[in-house]
Amino acid sequence: MNKEALTPESTAETREIVLAAREAGSRLLPAGRRTWPRAGGWTRDGGTPVSTSQLDTVHHYEPADLTLTAGAGIGLDRLARIVGPNRQWLPFDAPGSSAGTLGAAVASGTSGPLRTRYGATRDNVLGLEVVTGDGRTLRIGGRVVKNVAGYDLVRLFTGSRGSLGIITRVSVRLFPIPEADETLLFSGGPAEAVSMARTVCTSEVPVAAAELVEGEEVGADRAMVLAVRLLGGPREVEESRRRICAALGTDPWRALHDGESRRFHAARIGWEEGASVVARLAALPDRIDAALAAARACATRANGAQGSAAITADALQGLVRVRASLPDSDSTRLAETLATARRETEALGGSLTLSHAPPEVAARVGWTGSGPETAALTDRIKALFDPDSVLAPRCP
Amino acid sequence: MIPGRLTKELARICGRDHVIVDRDRLLVYESDALTAYRHRPGAVVLPRTTEEVRRTVQAVVRHGLPIVPRGAGTGLSGGAVALNGAVVIGTARMNRILAIDAPNRRAVLQPGVINAELSAAAAVHGLYYAPDPSSQTACTIGGNVAENSGGPHCLKYGVTSRYVTGLTVVLADGSVVKVGGHGREAPGYDLVGLFVGSEGCFGIATEIEVGLLPVPEGVRTLLGIFDRIEDSGRAVSDIISAGLLPAAMEIIDGPTIRAVEDSVFAAGYPTDAEAALVIEFDGLEAGLDHEAERATRFCFRAGAREVRSARDEEERLALWKGRKKAFGAMGRIAPDLLVQDATVPRTTLPAILKGISEIGNRYNLIVANVFHAGDGNLHPNILFDRRDLDELERVEHASKEIMQLCVDAGGTITGEHGVGLDKKHHMPLIYGPDELDTMWGIRRVFDPGAVMNPGKVLPEETEPSPANPRREPAPGELVGAPAPA
Repeated sequence: MNKEALTPESTAETREIVLAAREAGSRLLPAGRRTWPRAGGWTRDGGTPVSTSQLDTVHHYEPADLTLTAGAGIGLDRLARIVGPNRQWLPFDAPGSSAGTLGAAVASGTSGPLRTRYGATRDNVLGLEVVTGDGRTLRIGGRVVKNVAGYDLVRLFTGSRGSLGIITRVSVRLFPIPEADETLLFSGGPAEAVSMARTVCTSEVPVAAAELVEGEEVGADRAMVLAVRLLGGPREVEESRRRICAALGTDPWRALHDGESRRFHAARIGWEEGASVVARLAALPDRIDAALAAARACATRANGAQGSAAITADALQGLVRVRASLPDSDSTRLAETLATARRETEALGGSLTLSHAPPEVAARVGWTGSGPETAALTDRIKALFDPDSVLAPRCP
Repeated sequence: MIPGRLTKELARICGRDHVIVDRDRLLVYESDALTAYRHRPGAVVLPRTTEEVRRTVQAVVRHGLPIVPRGAGTGLSGGAVALNGAVVIGTARMNRILAIDAPNRRAVLQPGVINAELSAAAAVHGLYYAPDPSSQTACTIGGNVAENSGGPHCLKYGVTSRYVTGLTVVLADGSVVKVGGHGREAPGYDLVGLFVGSEGCFGIATEIEVGLLPVPEGVRTLLGIFDRIEDSGRAVSDIISAGLLPAAMEIIDGPTIRAVEDSVFAAGYPTDAEAALVIEFDGLEAGLDHEAERATRFCFRAGAREVRSARDEEERLALWKGRKKAFGAMGRIAPDLLVQDATVPRTTLPAILKGISEIGNRYNLIVANVFHAGDGNLHPNILFDRRDLDELERVEHASKEIMQLCVDAGGTITGEHGVGLDKKHHMPLIYGPDELDTMWGIRRVFDPGAVMNPGKVLPEETEPSPANPRREPAPGELVGAPAPA
């Protein structure tokens, strides 16, 4: 991964790189600033990284339209600084790094806890320019918020992890920054926290996000903390807080307001950073206790002497994540625990996906679970855009 | 007509009563809600289960006939029209809600379930299905999936694709494929997202999993009356720029107001006004009055003559009436109505409306506008009489010019009605040869033999020939459609 990256300065140059690689029979690894987690292991070593970090021009930004078009290499941090003065934001909070690029966020396609309120990443990508593996420049979608002209290739590319094309330009939908941003932290034992999460998730109060976090990560003396984020007008947020507290029968252990709340969530985006193993367990929200138990077993096994493994969950989405650093633990035993966790999660109708793992663990466990029945379709899709496998391998 | 052997085979699969070959009964299936396109299908089959759909597809394909999936036939782009004697697979009998999973806020249903019926069924759990096309009391969720339908409240809540989390699909080769579903973190390509909006060209969705939302506790509805349509457009921009996010913002223009007020649907809008703006906020009761007050101030500041607000559900429905009944009212002042659909960046609305009015004048046509102003989704409606051939030709020219105007402003040729038969020849306005070529390719990924709804979405003349299946870009050539920015 430390191989020198090619850094094209235009779409045309990106295309020249792809055509040359295709001609030479060599491999490319599409990337942004290479800060994003390797996301799914479908990227692989051995190719020459092509970083779109130089494609960072803002091509179009009309604040009153709440849309923006920029080169894929623009950092999410810089984008936030450009739209922030107009009290606007792009609510992408997928795990990663704020130094990551817009293109990488779209290519990885994962979403964070704000998905319930604002939609998934793919719901807010309006248009893309891509250079496909066979060297075509496609401009798909557009820059208007409602568009059903032709098949939805934008959604196909969002989350395609560099396997179909190199994203060179992105149009996204922006949102007004809510007037009030408040995060209520409720602490409790593991079962208590899950029960609180369930109450919040099925209440009539429109919460923006509800995450379960290990207590010690946020300095609480109880095992778990439920972080409930409220976004909206001040009166709406105040009323929401009142009702959430009434429903839970308790005041929050801590309440974070505005800047504090934003910083709390911004820090959580980097939660996976530095971990050598990250697994995502998806289940239905009402089975989150079982998914948490499976995740906890993995964390305990990974912990070894160092004790750096942790779990967290997006209660509204039913998504549990485990993070572990491996040096002191036994990778064979960890792989066994992960495989068990996958069986348990699949039995619940969910899935376990590794987003980060050392090769020996990945080889034992597999990045994703049982092969989907769509393999024939995805093979044909891959062949349509990247017939010579110049780019990253196809998604499972 | 289809061969007698096929009729018998289909009757064995779905029951004799559910295979329609009688010419008179087929009449109903000649068109969708865009009645300008009429073609009689070879037959209509009404299966009830995924297995019946699968066997029907296999039987029809074996006889070498094309297939057209059809919901309630309320589409506005000719997408459900059966060309070349195609066999229509109707979902009317696949109308069961299979599960409402309230704790996880999702439902699993068959494609023939009517949009409004899903919300009605979810209401006992305090939940509803957000996308609300104007035809929601008639249109089916399967049709919504095919068209990626929108509706007035998509401004805040987003369109169909945001809510579809899983699909069971029957493909042209008779295979049954499950995509997405359950824990919404399915790894791999977003095949659900790709399938939604594919207009029946990829396969038939036979089971659909959707997300539901809690019914908002409170609603505030306002009606702003304006003497100038530009002022109403400015009010919309100001409200959005101020960070308010109404659930819906709809504009009804002067000609439409007069059509409504002259009809049995009269809603009490002043007939000398040039625009009526319906604004709706929803959410927790607390805060709604404050938001409505702010929006009211923006309307007055932009030049509203009057802003009405609804105090109860009855008044709310009255304020909406002019918007909801606009199409019905227009149908009464001209024999034919072309409901257009395009999206433009919101800030270009005033200029676009002026341009549309000029095009109407130039072709001596009445153009009445009703639109989802909040997301720039226009519905310029052209009133005409199809028996007047000269007028019909003017309608076609004006329609194409309106499309070009919207595209030139950075917009697109359809925001929610789909391409279907009606707009496939407008596709080259927004996509270049490589994009169209790729869309042909994607279609073939799902349906190599072009069995499913052929003749829709993509213009035939752009189809790559077997001899030259893919256009090879010349070295150094930078190809593609006009830049999105």
